Amino acid sequence: MPAHEMAVEIEGLEKSFGSVHALRGLDLTVPAGQVTGFLGPNGSGKSTTIRILLGLLRADGGRATVLGGDPWADAVRLHRSIAYVPGDVTLWPNLTGGEAIDILSRLSGSLDPKRKQAMLDRFELDPTKKARAYSKGNRQKVALVAALASEAELLLLDEPTSGLDPLMEAAFTESIREVKADGRSVLLSSHIFAEVEKLADRVTIIRDGATVEAGTIAQLRHLTRSQVTVVLDGGADGLAALPGVHDLQALDGHITFAVDDAELPAVLAAVARLQPRSLVANPPSLEELFLRHYGDELAALSGGDR
Amino acid sequence: MTATATALQAEPVLRRPASDTLTGTGTMLRLVLRRNRVRLAVWWLVLVGLFAYVGAYYKDIFNTQAALDAFATLSNTPGIKALTGLAAAPATLGGAVWTKIWMTCALSLAFGVVFLVTRNGRADEELGRTELLRSRVLGLHAYSVASWLVNAALCVAVGAGVALTSAALGLDPAGAGITGSLVVGASVTGVGLVALGVGAVAGQVTSTSRGANALGSVVLGVFYVLRMVGDLGDGRLTWASPVGWGQEMQPWGANRTWPLALLVLLAAELVTVAAWLEARRDLGAGLMPERPGPAGAPARYATPLGLALRLQRGPIIGWSLTVVLCALLFGSVVESMTNLLNDAGSMPAMLGGTGVDALLSLLVVMIAMVTAVFALQSAVSLRADEASGIVEPQLAGALSRSRWALQRLLIPAVGTAVLLLVGGAGMGAGYGSVIGDPGQTSRLAVAALAYWPAVMVLVGVAVALFGWLPRLAIPLTWGVLAAMWFIVIIGDALHLPGWLLDLLPFSATPYQPFEPLTPAPLIVMTLVAAALVWSGLDRFARRDVQPG
Repeated sequence: MPAHEMAVEIEGLEKSFGSVHALRGLDLTVPAGQVTGFLGPNGSGKSTTIRILLGLLRADGGRATVLGGDPWADAVRLHRSIAYVPGDVTLWPNLTGGEAIDILSRLSGSLDPKRKQAMLDRFELDPTKKARAYSKGNRQKVALVAALASEAELLLLDEPTSGLDPLMEAAFTESIREVKADGRSVLLSSHIFAEVEKLADRVTIIRDGATVEAGTIAQLRHLTRSQVTVVLDGGADGLAALPGVHDLQALDGHITFAVDDAELPAVLAAVARLQPRSLVANPPSLEELFLRHYGDELAALSGGDR
Repeated sequence: MTATATALQAEPVLRRPASDTLTGTGTMLRLVLRRNRVRLAVWWLVLVGLFAYVGAYYKDIFNTQAALDAFATLSNTPGIKALTGLAAAPATLGGAVWTKIWMTCALSLAFGVVFLVTRNGRADEELGRTELLRSRVLGLHAYSVASWLVNAALCVAVGAGVALTSAALGLDPAGAGITGSLVVGASVTGVGLVALGVGAVAGQVTSTSRGANALGSVVLGVFYVLRMVGDLGDGRLTWASPVGWGQEMQPWGANRTWPLALLVLLAAELVTVAAWLEARRDLGAGLMPERPGPAGAPARYATPLGLALRLQRGPIIGWSLTVVLCALLFGSVVESMTNLLNDAGSMPAMLGGTGVDALLSLLVVMIAMVTAVFALQSAVSLRADEASGIVEPQLAGALSRSRWALQRLLIPAVGTAVLLLVGGAGMGAGYGSVIGDPGQTSRLAVAALAYWPAVMVLVGVAVALFGWLPRLAIPLTWGVLAAMWFIVIIGDALHLPGWLLDLLPFSATPYQPFEPLTPAPLIVMTLVAAALVWSGLDRFARRDVQPG
């Protein structure tokens, strides 16, 4: 049973690098025993936040608590219970991947050779190769194996699947589900909505260093709107009028429209009655989502300080 | 047309058309110039400026032949011969300037060219930038050839600058034209060109930029030591060293030009070998293939000290060998140097004194200098690890910043003490065995160990810079060492007050065994070093970790 109700609590976090305002009052919570998605476009402040949580950077303002402690002052004690996977993994070029895993594991506490071997097998990583011979994906696997083989109470994962192939992403998904089943907590930063949706209980979305939305996946369902393309022999009678359907366009029997995911079942039932010859549905990219929901605020925000 | 192409492809075409290998050289020339314009300008200004400064100063103070004769007599010592070589015509104005600054100028250019060739060669290849470039329409040798051309141009420009400065200052004897000025410039260029070849080959043989710089530096070091031994003896070994060929051009003496042909030929051959190697290896590879390593690490690697010992294993072994070899070499030649000294029938003043003890003291300083390079290389790795981002996964473990840094600093602290002891003892053993006095071993070991506080002050400066000015720490640290070195070599020409020179850590250390051992400066320097380290680490513990 985790000792703290909240693995991570952040309120009004501020951080500047010279004249660059990286974080402007960011809020974030990671409830213990849950997977929290941390979404934002590139450069929105995700890595800065995680590096503050690790005590590598010192916040300029606001409050951050990790496992009940101060991430700056209690760094060493807290790190015994934290495993970290950076987005861009740097390794010692003349050591092997296996050596790097052992070093990183021992630095945070104990090393369990059986778990290490299990993770090496799962991620199909050859531990005898020198780090400089690894591809980006394989360097990522080294950091993942070291983190997942640990008993850490909290996992801080900064875009952990960048560079992994789909099979390895599946192995990652399986591992995170095991971590969650053990009652451990995960902060999963990503710019891919689908990845977070698959694993996370809660999601916090940030943009320009501030939180714009936070809640459970179900609460955020209204944010997602799929892009649907259907080929119909007949007309698209009545589709445009259905609730949740937006921007419908028809060209030579190819009908495209956006639909709120909450209304998807009803809209698909209506499409089915029109006997479509083909149907393609794409989830929206995070950037589209931002543009649609926060375009105005963002324009005001950017206009305000530039 | 199609048929021809098919026929060609049917043959095993291993050789690419030679003209293709240089496609894009023009673009790469512009890139190399753009990327290095500040560095190139700084190297040129410093080297030519140094020569001009010493030239102008000597012209000012040596305004009579009597003054030049006195200087020539003063310079005719084993110490000067060992460190800088003695000019062929020591009693001329040009000769005096040559004795003072030629070796510094030529060797600095040589090291600078090796580092620049690595920066635009192996370093870019290691970081993957070359791969990106080579994926475009770019010939196999285009980038290397562009870098070699720019570096060759730097060598020629420095030589031309030296020749022009020399002629403009009027260092040539009246009525003798400017032959001496031209020869001195050409000799600097020639040594630089050989270093270019050395750097080019080193970049092909090793697979890391550190390895390339280390190999190139070691080769230049061997050139220097060969000519040192040659200059102290009958001169034969001087001819075994390209640096010696540069010396043997003898500006204002014999004014030889044919050794320049030797230098250029050797440089051309080395560059040809480098190109030959480049055409025969894979991108990113050196000559040594990668072998699989252990699948796990022993527990000691999880401590910062254990890991650093493993990662710095190569440099530690390399520097230990260097110090031991230098020590044995020095120890074995002291006796013959002293004989030469006695043969000359006089006991001329040397750097800080006369006689065999003064010579021993000078050689102890040289061992301390080599040790200082090791210590600083190890100390700046703190910043290098922060810049590469490799420290972050370690600090994300249960490891405090000060513990990480202090354990890492044990290597320069303990390593320096061990190297100084071994170096001093080795030199004492070599010298003692020649003169049959085993007591020299402990005597010189203590003399060398006395430089530990001085080296620690330099390490302290490196750590303070790491804490307070992380982004500039590495170049500033090496800059401090280079400045100290320059001040020791040309201090008198800089009009610096004596008390300032005495404050430099190496001057503040008792010049043992020539001077008696006084503990006060050693204690003060140890305290200064501790304060600098504390300040730097305290700052590091409070500031952001700053990659890049």
